[in-house]
Amino acid sequence: MNILSEDIRLSYDSAEILKGASVRAADREFVGLIGPNGSGKSTLLKCIYRVLRPDVGCVYLDGEPLSGLSYKESARRMAVVAQHNYYNFDFSVREVVLMGRSPHKRAMERDNARDYAIVEEALKKVGMLAFADRNFSTLSGGEQQRVILARALAQQTPCLILDEPTNHLDITHQLQLLRIVKALDITVIAAIHDLNMAAMFCDRIYVLQEGQIVGQGAPGEVLTREMIQKIYHVNSETVKDSRGRTHILFI
Amino acid sequence: MKKGEVSNQKTGVWQASLFVLALILLAAGLVFSVMAAITFGNADISLKDVYSVVGCEVLKMKRFSGFSEGSVHDVVWLIRFPRVVLALAVGMGLSVCGVVMQAIVKNPLADPYILGVSSGASLGATLAILLRIGSIFGGNFVGVMAFVGAMITSFMVMAIANMGGRANAGKLILAGTAVSSVCSAFSSFIIFMVNDNNATAEVMRWTMGSLSGADWSRAAVIFPVVLASTLIFWTQYRSLNLMLLGDEVSITLGTNLHKSRTAYLILSSVIVGAAVYAAGMIGFVGLVIPHVIRILFGTDHKRLIPLSALLGSIFLIWADVASRIILKNAEMPIGILVSLIGAPCFIYLLVKRSYGFGGGRS
Repeated sequence: MNILSEDIRLSYDSAEILKGASVRAADREFVGLIGPNGSGKSTLLKCIYRVLRPDVGCVYLDGEPLSGLSYKESARRMAVVAQHNYYNFDFSVREVVLMGRSPHKRAMERDNARDYAIVEEALKKVGMLAFADRNFSTLSGGEQQRVILARALAQQTPCLILDEPTNHLDITHQLQLLRIVKALDITVIAAIHDLNMAAMFCDRIYVLQEGQIVGQGAPGEVLTREMIQKIYHVNSETVKDSRGRTHILFI
Repeated sequence: MKKGEVSNQKTGVWQASLFVLALILLAAGLVFSVMAAITFGNADISLKDVYSVVGCEVLKMKRFSGFSEGSVHDVVWLIRFPRVVLALAVGMGLSVCGVVMQAIVKNPLADPYILGVSSGASLGATLAILLRIGSIFGGNFVGVMAFVGAMITSFMVMAIANMGGRANAGKLILAGTAVSSVCSAFSSFIIFMVNDNNATAEVMRWTMGSLSGADWSRAAVIFPVVLASTLIFWTQYRSLNLMLLGDEVSITLGTNLHKSRTAYLILSSVIVGAAVYAAGMIGFVGLVIPHVIRILFGTDHKRLIPLSALLGSIFLIWADVASRIILKNAEMPIGILVSLIGAPCFIYLLVKRSYGFGGGRS
């Protein structure tokens, strides 16, 4: 499945947050979105996953405009892992993941054995099966984030949106989460703060600054000293390791 | 890993069968409660006579046709039975409303009484009784006005709580208290101005809560309304679950809750209107009952709605029995009795901060 966001513009009050951002992710491509705080990464992603409606511009899934799809339909094509997941109520891990099946259900339809099998499978994939009957709110941040990823997996979508999913996670869990996502081999658009993580996992990177796309391309092409100086105002050096991957050293 | 899987599946099955078992037990408990509750009352009627009337009226058995009229028949069938049915309906309605309102505001401290919806319903009813406002709605216009009052207040409380930033538990409860005070003040003002002793007594009965005015004409309207609404809410369990995760997550899971929230508010106003029309103001049922069920069976609305409905009806049937027999030769208003039990539970929930008051992580 490919995703295309075309000339997205959005303003809060008088402040223009997005000034015509166009992003494209080809089938099974892992696309990264980088940029400083307040550059509009989350806002752009929210337009893509329908929580915000852009003033101008349109998002297309496989060429179909998003606004023409029902919410159920779009949730069957695109799952989301975002940053904040705080619940006032006590759900078990299994119940949280089972909610990922809801876009596939009609109003009165019951959860069947297949749904439960999908939930188990998703939990197994993120290594949380042993926690299935634990209370979600008693889990650590990293465990909660993996459960939310399992919920997205249970949606069985050909596309996944990640909105800074690795914030608050330690390096083990950052790598683990992104590796799981990478191994899914589906279309991914991810906002990532850590440039080295972005370099490691993304096929292509878009650079967002003040609501505009100011650069795009393969990690090696985009993550240059000049670009990092321009966007983040910090000095850096980039090196390539033996496998040809780009690494950024901040000076 | 294999071992973990097996035990996981087992716990899943175990939980599901535990739920079915609880459902059956509570349903049986409800039937038992109804049958037991009709044997209590001021008039001294033997068990055999009570059940002969039931046999005659419910099962239409020829054998008991001797009980189809007379004072024993009237007491059991025309006074006690509709009263128990109303208690059942009110308990069910208030509990289910509590569950739904807690989902709408995403906080376990919501309840029709605390959010001021009951006061609104009561004001509507007061206007109807004393000033005969809304008499164009026909015979049950007091009930219709109670519904209108409930609906206006629930939307008002939501709107006030959402002013200047998103609603949180504190703002909601304050807004509820404020709206509730305004409604009570208006009711008192009208009672004071009208100064009609009979009407005032009737309004008093409302504000304290009592099922003593029960008859079949009311029960026949209110019971089906509450039962149907409860069943509708049960079918909505998936949306109610999603509601607790918030609007943004719900959209990514394929449900836009904006319309359903309004629909749920209207439907729960129907229930609160019906409950207040039947029994006046009874507080805290919608708070305590869902809380108990959540502790035992978790937050999933698939289980929460039916179990709360059943436990709520059993609770209110027995509360009504207690209110009839606690005082000799007099009736204690059921609203007072239930508040005596419910208010301390509310304080307990407030104090036990970990249970979702405000935005902190528990």
